[in-house]
Amino acid sequence: MSNFDPLLSLEELTVKAGKKTLVDRVSFNVPRGGIVAVAGGSGSGKTTIGLSLLRLLPCALRIRQGRMVFEGRDLLGLSDEEMRRVRGARIGMVFQEPLSALDPLFTIGGQMDEVLAAHTALSKQERHKKILSALDEVGLPDPQRAYRSFPHQLSGGMRQRASVAQAIVTGPSLIIADEPASSLDVTLQAKIMELFIRLKRKNIAILLIAHDLAMIARLADEIVVLCKGQAVEQGPVSKVMADPLHEYTKALLEAAV
Amino acid sequence: MNDAVKHQSRTQLALAAFRRNRAAMLCFWVLAVLYGLAVFADVVCPYSYQDEDRDFSYCPPTAIEFMDHGHWVRPFVYKRTLTFDADHRRDYVIDRHTKYPLRFFHAGRLFTVDRPGRLYVWGADARGRDLFSRIWYGARISLSIGLLGVAISFALGLLIGGIAGYYGGWVDAVLMRLCEMFMMIPGFYLMLALRAAVPENFNYVEVYISVVVILALIGWASLARIIRGMALSLRERDYVLAAKTFGVPDLVIIVKHILPQTISYSMATLMLTVSSYILAEAGLSVVGLGIQDPIPSWGNLLSDAMSIVPVIFAPWILLPGLFIFIAVMCFNVIGDALRDAFDPMVEGSSIEN
Repeated sequence: MSNFDPLLSLEELTVKAGKKTLVDRVSFNVPRGGIVAVAGGSGSGKTTIGLSLLRLLPCALRIRQGRMVFEGRDLLGLSDEEMRRVRGARIGMVFQEPLSALDPLFTIGGQMDEVLAAHTALSKQERHKKILSALDEVGLPDPQRAYRSFPHQLSGGMRQRASVAQAIVTGPSLIIADEPASSLDVTLQAKIMELFIRLKRKNIAILLIAHDLAMIARLADEIVVLCKGQAVEQGPVSKVMADPLHEYTKALLEAAV
Repeated sequence: MNDAVKHQSRTQLALAAFRRNRAAMLCFWVLAVLYGLAVFADVVCPYSYQDEDRDFSYCPPTAIEFMDHGHWVRPFVYKRTLTFDADHRRDYVIDRHTKYPLRFFHAGRLFTVDRPGRLYVWGADARGRDLFSRIWYGARISLSIGLLGVAISFALGLLIGGIAGYYGGWVDAVLMRLCEMFMMIPGFYLMLALRAAVPENFNYVEVYISVVVILALIGWASLARIIRGMALSLRERDYVLAAKTFGVPDLVIIVKHILPQTISYSMATLMLTVSSYILAEAGLSVVGLGIQDPIPSWGNLLSDAMSIVPVIFAPWILLPGLFIFIAVMCFNVIGDALRDAFDPMVEGSSIEN
């Protein structure tokens, strides 16, 4: 595998629920350290793509066709145990609503420790150190305190930072961010975007699943516009935004203005 | 809401709520005393559980005297001798001339009297064994069998229920059919059948273990079914999906993220199950299938009270029943209080502003 190969290459991914097609032959590449946005309205299949990548679709949904080559391996060809080792270790995920994505019964540190313990053979102290540095990296002012805090004790912005920290603590090469800023107010959204740009500089690729075109315009290099499960338009963000070819993209852009 | 309150974990909050419940705390201390007496039965009881004296069959409770001819003296008991009245009924005559002083901290026991005197605080059974001593030795069996049985059936029930609910599909179907196989047989008869399958030449330790296992086998299924139902809904929580996306192993997700959410239910059930196991052991022993004489348990002590005549003339042999009642009551009240304490919806259980 050369360095010029994309980190993730999705080829003709098709997901069906029974006879209904939710994702229809979608193909795109995510380069190393690149940010690719999957845009589209609700029900367009963008979250389904994110979960397909981790092979965590609800049982009614099936991947019917396609390849998902990540770091040189087709994820669809991996055993369940091999797939588990990819999740969290090589691909991290950030959810829309951190309060429900964090278990209310465990401290932030405890939940991050669980991820590290699942993927590494580090000692307790080493894990502790690593968690603190991840919490520091996402810009939490007091990592020690965040470590001991329960999710409800942190503010919304801090919670989202903590869940980003949980996603990067194992040092993955790709992060799937599913509407990472939708639950935050505008100033916090800007902070999270800055954080993503910092991660990008550290050569972490991001698959940004969002409907907010303003955010996509600031962050992403490439965009895939999804409509009813089909990739109706894709290419560099600047080009797509300046000169949308498809009606649906135009409608999305108009809605954003 | 101040900072000190905010930093308490759920367990701390629940324990604080539990401590505020007076009835539950009382029951807790009553149980603590019962367990304490059971553990220290060797010291607390004046006799060993098999120390018998046939001359004192069904001897009524002995009064401990403190006054002699109007003066305070060292506690003592009068001598009693067995006679028969005109109807050939036992009659213990008190001989006020012969006294046996109580000996404290003698021969490794807290209090006892020298032979040939006998001290029956709560009366004697048919073979002249001290019921007080036999009750506390019996408490060792009766109070521990419930806890052990519950430990096993809870481990089974929580794990199997959690696995069935988490995975769903055919795993769920197979495990639930297995549960139903255990549940469709009435509990007591299943218990009798299982007990009948145990070789009759077992010694008392083996019988004890087999009773524990039998109790555990009966109880896990209904718990597993309910935990499975809860797990079915809990697995849809976002943080369970999040844990999956982070590659946390399934068993860790079940144990750390699903089962703790069932705690308010399972705590209450745990306590109720302990009490039902105490009753089940008593039931087995009363019909003579549990722990065998001379080893006492509250159940087999009560089996003496199965016929009416001894109960009429020696009503104290019903006392083990009172202790079964007290222990079961206490476990039930504590179970109830724990459920309230762990349930944030119940008034007064969570943070008070």
